[in-house]
Amino acid sequence: MLDGGIPRGNTVLISGSCGTGKTTLSLEYLVRGAQVHERGLFLSVTEASHKIQQNLATFDFFDKRLVDDGTLTFIDVPVLYEKLGLSKQEMTTEDIDLFVGAVARLASDLKVQRLVMDSITSVCYRIRHEEEIRDLILKLGKSLSDISCTTLLVSEIGPQENRYSLYGVEEAIADGVILLGNVQRRGDLLRTLKIIKMRGTTHSRAQYVLDLTPLGVLLAPYLKGGRGWEAA
Amino acid sequence: MPNVAPGEIAERLRALPEGSGVAMKLGATDYAGNYLQFLAATLRDFGMEANAYTIYVSVTNPCILVNSLLASLEIPSDRVFFVDVISQTMMSSLTKLPNASYVESPTMLENVMLRVEYFLRKNTATRRIVIIDSVNSLAIHNDPAILSEFFHIMVNNLKSRGITTVILAVAEETNPELENLLSFVCDDTIQLGVAETEPKGA
Ligand SMILES: Nc1ncnc2c1ncn2[C@@H]1O[C@H](COP(=O)(O)OP(=O)(O)OP(=O)(O)O)[C@@H](O)[C@H]1O
Ligand SMILES: [Mg+2]
Repeated sequence: MLDGGIPRGNTVLISGSCGTGKTTLSLEYLVRGAQVHERGLFLSVTEASHKIQQNLATFDFFDKRLVDDGTLTFIDVPVLYEKLGLSKQEMTTEDIDLFVGAVARLASDLKVQRLVMDSITSVCYRIRHEEEIRDLILKLGKSLSDISCTTLLVSEIGPQENRYSLYGVEEAIADGVILLGNVQRRGDLLRTLKIIKMRGTTHSRAQYVLDLTPLGVLLAPYLKGGRGWEAA
Repeated sequence: MPNVAPGEIAERLRALPEGSGVAMKLGATDYAGNYLQFLAATLRDFGMEANAYTIYVSVTNPCILVNSLLASLEIPSDRVFFVDVISQTMMSSLTKLPNASYVESPTMLENVMLRVEYFLRKNTATRRIVIIDSVNSLAIHNDPAILSEFFHIMVNNLKSRGITTVILAVAEETNPELENLLSFVCDDTIQLGVAETEPKGA
């Protein structure tokens, strides 16, 4: 679904509350790329990257050689912070520049065409001002776009939130926003996916129901039954 | 509409173009007998041909029951995949079949489509059939509008890929609304063991 759907070099926010499939979707995006020889980098902020890598085994189409031969790289952001001497709880403007520079260098050294940051929200926790968050995402997007790298930024939001990122600035700057969530029907929860925006494409604003399977994410149209069915 | 002899069902199915939608109406009198004949005709005589398999969406009965009926008819289960939509709701049968995928509730119609899609993508074959058992059971759990939308999308999607869909219906329990739905999505109707003069309100 995402293949061919995201224009090269764009920055896309993958938003959703916990357990909605953000990590799984992002991983599939990297693996699908790796299968066609596009190198990928997963920057893990919240979970240890070896745990993330274990999730790859749930995909039937995953081949461990893609990690062994360096097509896919996993890096723990806390380790990166440490290397950069960014151990303070709060990042200054200089720290942000240092961090963006390091990520851009990694991406360019590894020659990656696809990058995932899981999650941008936890990086932003360390930044006090909204302008600095804006700055971080703009600079990150720009430097990765310059090397034609497509970037997925995972954004953690609450289940009822009416915006797609914690601070609201992320969604305004990103080229695209994909929202993952749940919808109730007669008490049962359906996993859903909606493309909120995708610059440079004519995308449908329709809502889909999604299933996480060993064959990857599968989508079906959300059935409305002639009228709105969402529980308010 | 005349009944079809059980021995002729497979022939009738074979004669249909690939990707047809078929309404299979079973008479309520001796439903069990009719149902067994239907299983034998579709899953054994038609479905067991070389390089064919069946995806069975079971809403009326847990798939473990259907599976044991297949075993009693000596139909090997290795070419049948179940999308079980009822076991979890009924909290019945904790034993899970390896060839089954379980959907939490019959209201999650999109997930029914997605599990069927999963089996279709996972297993290629020259001929594939999808059986939905039954329209009546799905109607208990879903509003008519959403049910029509589901059948419309599902059957047309399968049709475009040359996959035949067989929709089971209990003849006497199918109201005009469901009749409409069936005639809308199906190209043919096969009737088995339906009483000639349908007693009203049976
Ligand atoms: N291939 C798969 N098949 C079935 N279930 C899966 C598969 N992959 C992941 N899941 C399940 O989906 C759920 C959500 O996955 P995921 O970790 O991607 O969500 P997330 O949005 O990243 O959550 P969090 O906010 O906690 O990071 C998990 O509970 C996981 O067990
Ligand atoms: Mg996650």
